This record gives sequence, C-alpha cells and structure tokens, in this order.
Amino acid sequence: MMHTAMITPASWIVPFISGADDAHGHHGDHAARVIEAATAANNLGWAGLILWLPLLSLVLCGVCAARGVKSKLPAWITVASLAASFFVTVGLYMQYDAPVTIHLFEWFNLNWSGGSFIAPFALYVDRLTLLWMLFVTGLGTLIALYASEYMEHDVGKGYTRFFAGVSVFLFAMSALVMGDNLVMLYLGWEGVGFASYWLIGYYYTKPSAVAAAKKAFIVNRIGDLGLALGLYLIYHAFGTIQYDQLFQMFQDGSAAAITEKGGWSVSAIPFLLMLGAFGKSAQIPLYVWLPDAMEGPTPVSALIHAATMVTAGVYLLIRMFPVMELHSAALPTVAWVGGLTALLAATIGMAQFDIKRIMAYSTVSQLGYMFLGVGVMTTDAAAAHVFTHAFFKAVLFLTCGAIMHGFAGQLDLRKLSGLRHMPGWRIVSYTMGYACLCLVGFPFITSGFFSKDKIMAEAFVTQGPGFVVLGVIALLTALLTAYYTFRVFFRVCMGPKHYEPGDELHGDDPAHFHPHPPRIAINFVLITICLGAFLAIFAVHKFGFLPGGDKGYAWVKASVIGSTGANGVPHGHHGETAFFADPHKWMVLAASTVTIVGMLIAFYFHLANRKAADKLRASMLANPVTAVLPKAMENKWYVDEVYHAIIRAPLWVVGHACAVFDRYVIDGLLVDGTGRCPRFLARLFQPLQNGVLQSYAVSMAGGIGLVVLLVLLMPRLLEALNAVGGTGG
Amino acid sequence: MMSTLAMDAMSSVSLAHYLTTSAILFVIGLIGFLTRRNMIVMFLCTELMFQAAAIAMIAFGRFHLDVSGQVFVIFILTIAAAEAALALGLVVLLYRRRETLSAEAWSELREA
Amino acid sequence: MTLMLLVLIPVIAALGVIGTPRQHVKWVALIATVINFLYSVILAYAFKGWGEGGFFFVKSFNWLESFGVSLGVGADSVSMLLVLLSTMLMPLCVWGSFSAIQTRVKEYYAWLLVIEAAMIGVFIARDLIFFYICFEFTLIPMYFLIALFGSNPMTRVRTATKFFIYTFTGSILTLAGLIYVAWACASQNAGVWTFDIGTLTAFAADGGLTAREQGWILLAMLAGFGVKIPLFPVHTWLPLAHTEAPTAGSVILAAVLLKLGTYGLYRFLLPIVPDAVITYGPAIAVLAIIGILYAALICWVQTDVKRLVAYSSVSHLGFCVLGLIALNPLGLQGSVLYMINHGLSTGALFFLIGMVYERYHTRDMNEMGGLARRMPVWSTFMVFFVLASVGLPGLNGFVSEFLCLIAAFTATPDNAAYPGVLGPWYAAIAGVGMIFAAMYLLIMVGKVVFGPLKEPRRHAHDHDVVTLPADLTAREIGVLAPLAVLCVVLGFQPGIVTSAMEPAIEETLAVYPERVLAVEEIQTAGAQSSSMTEVAIDG
Repeated sequence: MMHTAMITPASWIVPFISGADDAHGHHGDHAARVIEAATAANNLGWAGLILWLPLLSLVLCGVCAARGVKSKLPAWITVASLAASFFVTVGLYMQYDAPVTIHLFEWFNLNWSGGSFIAPFALYVDRLTLLWMLFVTGLGTLIALYASEYMEHDVGKGYTRFFAGVSVFLFAMSALVMGDNLVMLYLGWEGVGFASYWLIGYYYTKPSAVAAAKKAFIVNRIGDLGLALGLYLIYHAFGTIQYDQLFQMFQDGSAAAITEKGGWSVSAIPFLLMLGAFGKSAQIPLYVWLPDAMEGPTPVSALIHAATMVTAGVYLLIRMFPVMELHSAALPTVAWVGGLTALLAATIGMAQFDIKRIMAYSTVSQLGYMFLGVGVMTTDAAAAHVFTHAFFKAVLFLTCGAIMHGFAGQLDLRKLSGLRHMPGWRIVSYTMGYACLCLVGFPFITSGFFSKDKIMAEAFVTQGPGFVVLGVIALLTALLTAYYTFRVFFRVCMGPKHYEPGDELHGDDPAHFHPHPPRIAINFVLITICLGAFLAIFAVHKFGFLPGGDKGYAWVKASVIGSTGANGVPHGHHGETAFFADPHKWMVLAASTVTIVGMLIAFYFHLANRKAADKLRASMLANPVTAVLPKAMENKWYVDEVYHAIIRAPLWVVGHACAVFDRYVIDGLLVDGTGRCPRFLARLFQPLQNGVLQSYAVSMAGGIGLVVLLVLLMPRLLEALNAVGGTGG
Repeated sequence: MMSTLAMDAMSSVSLAHYLTTSAILFVIGLIGFLTRRNMIVMFLCTELMFQAAAIAMIAFGRFHLDVSGQVFVIFILTIAAAEAALALGLVVLLYRRRETLSAEAWSELREA
Repeated sequence: MTLMLLVLIPVIAALGVIGTPRQHVKWVALIATVINFLYSVILAYAFKGWGEGGFFFVKSFNWLESFGVSLGVGADSVSMLLVLLSTMLMPLCVWGSFSAIQTRVKEYYAWLLVIEAAMIGVFIARDLIFFYICFEFTLIPMYFLIALFGSNPMTRVRTATKFFIYTFTGSILTLAGLIYVAWACASQNAGVWTFDIGTLTAFAADGGLTAREQGWILLAMLAGFGVKIPLFPVHTWLPLAHTEAPTAGSVILAAVLLKLGTYGLYRFLLPIVPDAVITYGPAIAVLAIIGILYAALICWVQTDVKRLVAYSSVSHLGFCVLGLIALNPLGLQGSVLYMINHGLSTGALFFLIGMVYERYHTRDMNEMGGLARRMPVWSTFMVFFVLASVGLPGLNGFVSEFLCLIAAFTATPDNAAYPGVLGPWYAAIAGVGMIFAAMYLLIMVGKVVFGPLKEPRRHAHDHDVVTLPADLTAREIGVLAPLAVLCVVLGFQPGIVTSAMEPAIEETLAVYPERVLAVEEIQTAGAQSSSMTEVAIDG
C-alpha cells in the first residue's frame, strides 16, 4: 500500500506521511479488539497522590486565605503540588504494563440481599487514563506557573482564591479521568464544572463574569442530567457502574444478552451520555456557555476552557465507546453534531473582534472536529487531536493572556498591530505564530496537521449517513479556520506598530501608557508549551523513517488501542475510495490546499491590504440583503437570543405563574378558604347573639320546650318511622 | 314501685297537686323573667323558679320516702341565699354604673 | 442507659431556665443542649443497633394501663441517627441565637428546650399515643417561637396561628387513622387494647387490614405526615412559617420538624399499609415530583432569600419522598440520608440568612448584592452550603439525591430483588429538579454574594444591644463549621450512615417484594378481565 500504483497528486508525500501504523492490518478484518481485564493493584496506592496533591494544595491555599497571606506563596504551593502530581503521573506511566484498578477508599457501598450499588473511590488506570493525565497535569503545572505571574495584580486580593480554584479543578479533573466507575466520573464531571464556575466568576464584582459563571454551571447541569440518567440506565441494565466489570460484560458477551432484551432503556444510554458530553465539551446545542466563559482570567481559559476540561466529553465517549455502540444511530449523531458545531463555531469566529473570543469559538470548532472523529469511528485521531489541541490552544490563549496583561485588557484586534516589532514581545509573537500554524493544520511541521488530517480523511472513508458531506463540511471548516486564525495573527502580530490600551489600567495614565511585556515565567511557559506542540507531532504520527516502538503504532494511537475505546480505532485502510482515490492519500493535499488558501485570503485582507477588508465589510453592511450575513455571524447567529426566547423566558413566565398560583389559589383560595369556612358558618348564627338578656332567655326556654316536646313525642315518632320503614322494606 | 304506704299518705292531696303548684310557680317565674326588664324583678322571678323546683323535689322525696329530696332543697336554699346576696350586690353595682335597673342597658357581649 | 433521659434533660432544663436570672439563661440552655448531645453520643456509642436490625434500649413505663397506653421508648438505627441529628443541631441553634434574641429570653430558650424534648420523643417513641403526643407537642413551642419572636410583628401571630391550625388539622386525621389501626388490632385480639407500635406493625404485616381499610388509613396518614413534609399541595404553611420564624426556629423547622413527616412515613406508612403504598405509591410519587418542579420554579422568582430557601425545602423533600416510595433499600437509605443531609445544608443556609438579617434587617435580594466583598467568610460558607444543597458531588447532598433518584429509576416491576412501582420516567422528570436547583440557588448566590457591592443601610435599631462586626464572629463561625465538616464527611463517607441502617431498612421492606408482585398480579388480571369484557361487548 505504501507503494501504491495509484497516481494521486499526493503520491509524492506518501512515503513521508503514511506511517508504520498504517502498515498494520490492511486485511480489512473488523474483529473487535480485546479490552483487557484490569487487575487490582494494591501496591499502587501512591497513585492516589495524583488526586491528593491538588487537594492538599487546596487546603494549604485555604490556610493562606485564613491567615491573610499577602505574597505569591499560594502560587508556589499550587505549582509545586501540581508538578509533584505530574511527576507521580509520569512515575505511574513508567510502571504501567496492563490495566489496573487502584482502590483508595470505600465511597458508595450499598449491599442488600439480592443486589448492590458499589462505587468505590478508586482509580482505573489504562493507557487512555495515562494519556489524558499526562497532559492534564503537565499543562496544569505549566499554566499555574504562568498564572503566578499573570495574576500578580491580585496578590493579597484574589490570588489565593484563584489558585485554590485551580487546585480544585485539578483534583476534579483527575477524578474524572482516573475514576474507576461512573460515579467517580460524575464527581469529577460536576467538580470541574464547579471549578469552572469558581474561576469564570473570579472577577465576581463584574456582573458579566457572574452571569457567565452561572450560565456555564447551569448549561453544564443540563448535560450532567443526561450523564446522570445515562448512568442510572447503565446501572439499571447492567447492574454495575464500574468500568472493569462493565466492559468485561461487553467482552464475554453477557452484555449482548442484556442489550437484546433491553429495549429503549438500553438504546437510550448512548444518547444520554452524549448529552453529557455535549454539555461539557460545548457542542450544539449546549455550546453557548463556552464563549461567555472567557470572562474568567486567561490562564483559566487556557487550562480549563481549551486544553483540559472541555475535552472531558471526548474522553467520556472514548472511554464508553462500547456503550456508545449500543444504538446504531448514536455515533452518526455524534459525528453530525461535531461537524455542524465545527462549522457553526468557525463562522461565528470569523466575525468576532475580541481575540480571546475568537479563540473560544475556535475551541468549540476544534472540539467539533474531535466529536466528528469519534463519530466516524476514529477515536485515535480524536484523542490525537485532543492531545495536540491541548498544547497549541493553550499557547494561543496564553499569548492572548500575555497581550491582555500587557495592554491593560486590550483584546480588540482592530486596536492592536505589529506586536512583532515591539520590544519584549517577540516570543509572544512567534509562539503565537507557530500555534496558529498548528491550529490551521499547516502541513508537515505542525502537530495539528496530522491529527486533523486523520479525522477528515476518516470522515470520507467510514461508512455512515452522509459522512462524505461531513467530510466536505470539515474541509470547508478548515478553510474558515485558516482564515480566522491568521486574521488574528496578521492583524495583531504583523503590520505597522500601533496600539491602544484597554480599560484595566490599574492606575496608569492612559495618555502615557506603555505595554508591559511578559517576563520570565510567562515566556518560559510559552516556549515550553510551544515546544510541546511541536513534539506532539511525534506522539500522534508514526513516521516511516523513524524506528518503531510502542507496538508499531503512534503513541496516542497505541494509547487508545490499549484502552476501552479500542474498538473505535479503524483497522488500517479500508481500501475505500471517495472522489476517485483513497482519502487517506489525497487528504494531505486537500487539507494543505484549503489551509494555504485560507491563509492567503487572510494575508490579503488583514496584512497586505487591510483597507480592502474594511471596505468589503462596509459595502456588505450597506446593502440590507448582504448585511444579514455579517450581522448574524457577529451576533453569533442569535442563538443566545433564541434560547432566551424559547427556554428561559417561558420558564420564567411559568415560574411567576406558579408563584401566583401558589399564593392566590393554593394558599389563598384553598387553604385560607377552608380556614374561613367556620367563620362563615358562624356569621349565619351571629344575629342570635344580640346582647338582649330576654331574647337569650326566650331561646333557652324555647330550647327546653323543644327538648320536652321531642322527649314526649319520640316514641310516637319512632313508631311512625318504623311503620314507614316496614312498608318500604 | 309505689308502696301502698305512700299511696295512703297522699290520698287526700296527691303528688299531682304538688307538682301542679310547682309547675304554676315555675311558669309564673318564667313569664316574669321573660317579660320584665327590671333586674331586681327578674332576679326575684328566678328565685320563684328555684322555689318551684324545690317544691317539686320535696314532693318527690316524700312520695318516694327518700330524704335526699329534702337534702337537696336545703342545699338549694343555702346556695340561693348566698347567690341572692351576690346577685343583689351585682345589681347594685350595675345600677351605680348606669343609673338604671333595666337589663337592656347592658348588651356589651352582643355580636350582631 | 435510657433513652427517656434524652427527653427529660431538656424538659428539666426548660423548667430550670425559668428560674434562672435573665443574663445566664442562654448559658444554661447551651449547657443543657450540649449535655444532651453528649449523652446522645454516649448512647450512640453504646448502641448495639448499628448495622443490625431491630430496636434497642427498649423500655416501657406504665402510664394508662387500662387503655393499653404506655410510655414505650426504643430506637432502631434510623431513629438513633435522627436523634443524633436533633441533639447535634440544638446546641448550634441555641448558640446561634445568642445575639439575635434580646427580649423575652427566658421564654425563648425554654421553648427551644421543650421543642428539643418533643422532637426526640417522636423519634424514640415506641407507643403510638406517646408518639402522637410528642408529634403534636412540637407545635406548641413552635407556635410561640413564631408568634413571639417572628420577624414581622404585624403578621407573626396570624402566621403562627395558621401554621398551628394547618398542621394540627392534618395530624388529627392521622391520629384517627392510627387509632383505627389500634382498634382493628384490639378487636382481633379479644378487645385488649395496645398502642405498642411493634405490635401494631406486626398485626398489619400479617395482613390484619383489608386493602380498603389500608387505603383510608393511608389517606389519614398523608393528611398529617404529608402536611408536615410538606407534600404538594399542602405545603403553603411552610414558606410562611419559615419566613416568619426566628433563625433558630427556621433551622429546627427545616432540619428536624419536616423530617417528622418523612419519619412518620418511614415508621408507620410503609410497615402498616403496604398494599395501599403499592397501589397509591405512583400517585404519591407524582405529588412529590410536582412538588420538586413546582417549588423549584417558584424559588426561581422569589426575591426574599429566606422564602426561597423555604420553597427549596419543598422541592428537596420531594426527592426524599420519592426515595421512600421507591420501596427498595437504595431508596430508603437514600431517603434517610436525605433527611440528615437536608437538615445539615438547609439548616446551615437558614443560619447564614439569619446572620445577614441580623446585620442588615432585610432579606430582599434586590436590596443587597456583592456581599463577598464585605463578608468574605460568610460568602465562603454561603457558597459552600449552596453547593451542598445543589448536590455537588463530594458534598453530602449529592449522595442522597443520587441514591433517591437511582432508586426511583430502578424501582421497576421487573427489578429482581425489590420490584417497585416507579420507573425511569419518574426519576428522569424529577431529575430536571437538579437543573432547576442549580438555577435558583446560583441566581441567588449571584445576586447576594457576587456582583457589585450593594449594601442596605445598616439599621441601628434601638433594641440591638449587640453590635455585630461586618463579617462573621468567631461564635457564628463556630455554629457553621461543624455543619460544614459534616457535609464533607458525609459526602465522602456516606457509608457510615448507609451501612449502619441497612438491616433496619431491609426489615422495614421485608414485606414488600411479594406484596408488590401480588398487587401487580391482581392489577394485570383486572386489566385482562376488563379487556376481555370489552371484547365480549364488542363481540
């Protein structure tokens, strides 16, 4: 296959691009891969430190807050414990040879005659866990280090609170990824949501930040409900929520028996899990919280809302891949939602001016690619994209943060230009440039190229409803991505030197404003992560000319194959063709072409001839027909407004209606109404109480008379009644 | 249950006579109570009704050859005396407040 | 070791309080409640019922022997847990009232002690009449606490009266129902009356009551217990009473008095009328679910923080009832755990609201905002307990909510060990309450704790003898900290509660599995025969 006779325009690339992993299994066998059973590892209790260290950091930050520490101590505590956590993860990785469960302590342990509900606080470690944990703790440490400088304006104010939030996040994220069961996953799932709430709302005096935090938590809660219901259904159907037991049921076939008679309650599971993933990973219809989440400090956006937390949805789908296959429509749904989200977010991203917000939409869009990858049965490429994206998107956010930090909160790309030429901003400019190249998938020298390329190719290869259309959408999105990414880069980093400071001046005089270029911590972190983004190439792609380790697969692919998501990894080439050739081959050329075209458009409009872009925009806005498009894109297709109108507003009305109903109907009419009955009856007899002594006496006498009469007449009455009854009977 | 001894003793004036007297006395008292407004007269009327009851009790007691009737009457008389003292005292008090003996002057507890 | 002492200590202390000089009253009350708490801890330590079924410390004192009434006490693990909850909360309630109550202190603390005695009496009673007396006697102290110490002098008497009459009316019907059970038992037992709860339960478990009788008794019990819980639509006394009551009153009301209702369901409804529970279980569950969603929506539009939390209790207790009606061990354990957890988190929320009220004399969300800036410690606690209430995993609320929902979810007729009468739809719809809870509580937090600082003018009331600093005092932190610690402990170690009561729960549920199947058989047979008649008519 490597020396295919088919002459495609990309054939010169083939020896370079087609890796050793592709040399495996071209036999078209679709035998399911084995999910190894986990063994209980009692000697690995120290792995719990990965969770406990961030928790310790939280406690110490709490102590700092209580003692009113006014130094950078909380940052150092956090960085140190996260670094330690990272090294423990590395140690665990070194030790690893087969899936293990590590029991920490009992959590849910309910037994009764004939059943049990068990969810220990335990860790499940396989290759997928390690893959995720390595970049979560690694990037967590670096970004915390970055934040130690970035947040320095707040030393003694919110500094401790910030690092406590980061520690909570790392604890929850580790629990999410490492948990041995779905309840642990849920703990982490809600925990990261809460950490996100905490950190988005960091600037709590800003109403927009509070609103964004609230929105993030509530929208996530909708997804969480899906996840919780999916969890209940899994427990209901399979009787366990521990990964190992669950997936062994899929291995030994006992799951199949359950699935057959399960009916709707089994086939609903993948869709509910999906809802959870859509919430956490900001996919249609629950993506609306992520762009608003940019209200948080930038390191938070980089760590939580770009690199780690938002990939939890992808993790869930890969982890639960066998469950996702319980209904045949589930994965195509994921693919379509992912593809459409990618496109939608890219179109919105094109029309924004706030560079951080552009990056937020770009994150949504890239997450869409990952879901597309899972949906088209390419979990390895999805994981690879998660991995590479974590690095380059972190760099992009961190450079945005550095700019924001240096220019007093300025993020408008119209008000910044020529950063490259300013003293002290060179590292920021070049790391941003490289990260942009990664994001657009510039051929061969960027990790993003390899991961994205695989997803797009597989969209054309995998059989599924309209997957070819999805592939085209993905290519189109790649074009848009290239455009909006380099729009930012060419505007901000290139061109003539020009800037306006933002409004967070911290007492500086705006007339004599000088940008504060980043110092050692920020620059160090930028370079390190950027280097990581480059080296990720070798993690996600197996080059033919490099010696093969790791069972002949690229590292990420080997990680996914060694996990519960193994079945989602395609077995080499399928030999399918789309558009007259094997997409695995021509995708290299197609992807490179659209990327470069997009970059050239951006180059023309935003560097070579910036006036043309403004003119085009002005002319489109001038015509009421064409003005619709840029306006709608700039206003995010009015999705927030639509949600407000169809969900929040009606609920608000119903809430008020209930409150009124409760107050006036239930309490007023029914309760107080019943309470008034005795009084109403009493009012009937009130006239008798006239205060005239004689009238009381008369009624008394009359009463006695009546009683006497009754006593006298009673025997006769009874007789008469009996007679009537007798005749009646 | 009536013993012959009792029958003999009341051959001339039978129980019915006593009871009739008692009833007449009671009705006089009742009518007086209902029609008069003067509190002292009303009070006297209640005393009349009391005595009517007392007569009835003595009559029954004699009829059944049982002393408890007479015992009751002695109680009634005693209590009536005590009560008369109290009641007249109250009437005097009420008179001082309103300068009238009419019962209609007092209707504080009316509801309508 | 006697449980009766738990009732006697507060009663004696209440009498003692009356004879104590005014300035020492609060200390006497505090010491008495602490002693009672310590005594209950000693009892809990000596208690043999952890992880065992059955009743311990059982004792019966003669009272009205000719009517079969005695002062019978005894505790199973569920009772003991609720006793511990009550005795643990009371010192905090007393301590938390130190600054708020400056007038009529003797009455205040005496009534607090009396209510403690009554609450504990409910949980430990093994005699129906004793139970009922304690059950009703909680009303009288609460009436005075609201009527004398309510926040609004114009409306507090009316509120207290309404609270009293409402709950009293309901529980009188419950008494009738319970006496009917005793009567039925006596008439079967050669006219020998007994009000011993164990005997009556055994009588009912042996099928002593017909299905028709059970239906009526269920209705009678719901009249009293349902009002107390409160179930929709008999919940309207609760927001009123909560809003009006002084802080400690609200705390007791939310943390313990509402639990008397669910405890009543657990202790009487489930064992005495199993067939009726199976038949009408879905209806009760529907009421609970309506309560969850309806109250949550009302919470959403409240502006009075205290009223919001009060309505949230209606919503939360719906989950508790749902867990009970699930009729499986998961649900019952979740439900009892819910009783405890709701007591901790909602109790703490009422404390927190009371602390703000003491400073600003308002509870209107629109009048205050951004208090995180002025009161960082208070805000930390507020956010913490709101999250516990929302059900954040790792805190206590999550465990119980999760168990109640999963129990309702799996309570399908085809469940092997414990067939139930609910199913996925009940849990799915109730689960929407989780989203609503996040909405209303976070909106409240967003308004009150976060945002730009908006402070109402601090009223310098004449009767404010104590002036409080801006943020919490050490005493106030001391009130909240134990609750916070318990929230975390129960969040990570729910096993200490669930495994302790597991056998007791299974004993309670012992009659259910076969009854559920039997009732369902009858129902399906009925459905088949009716469909057959339809066929016949059609034919």
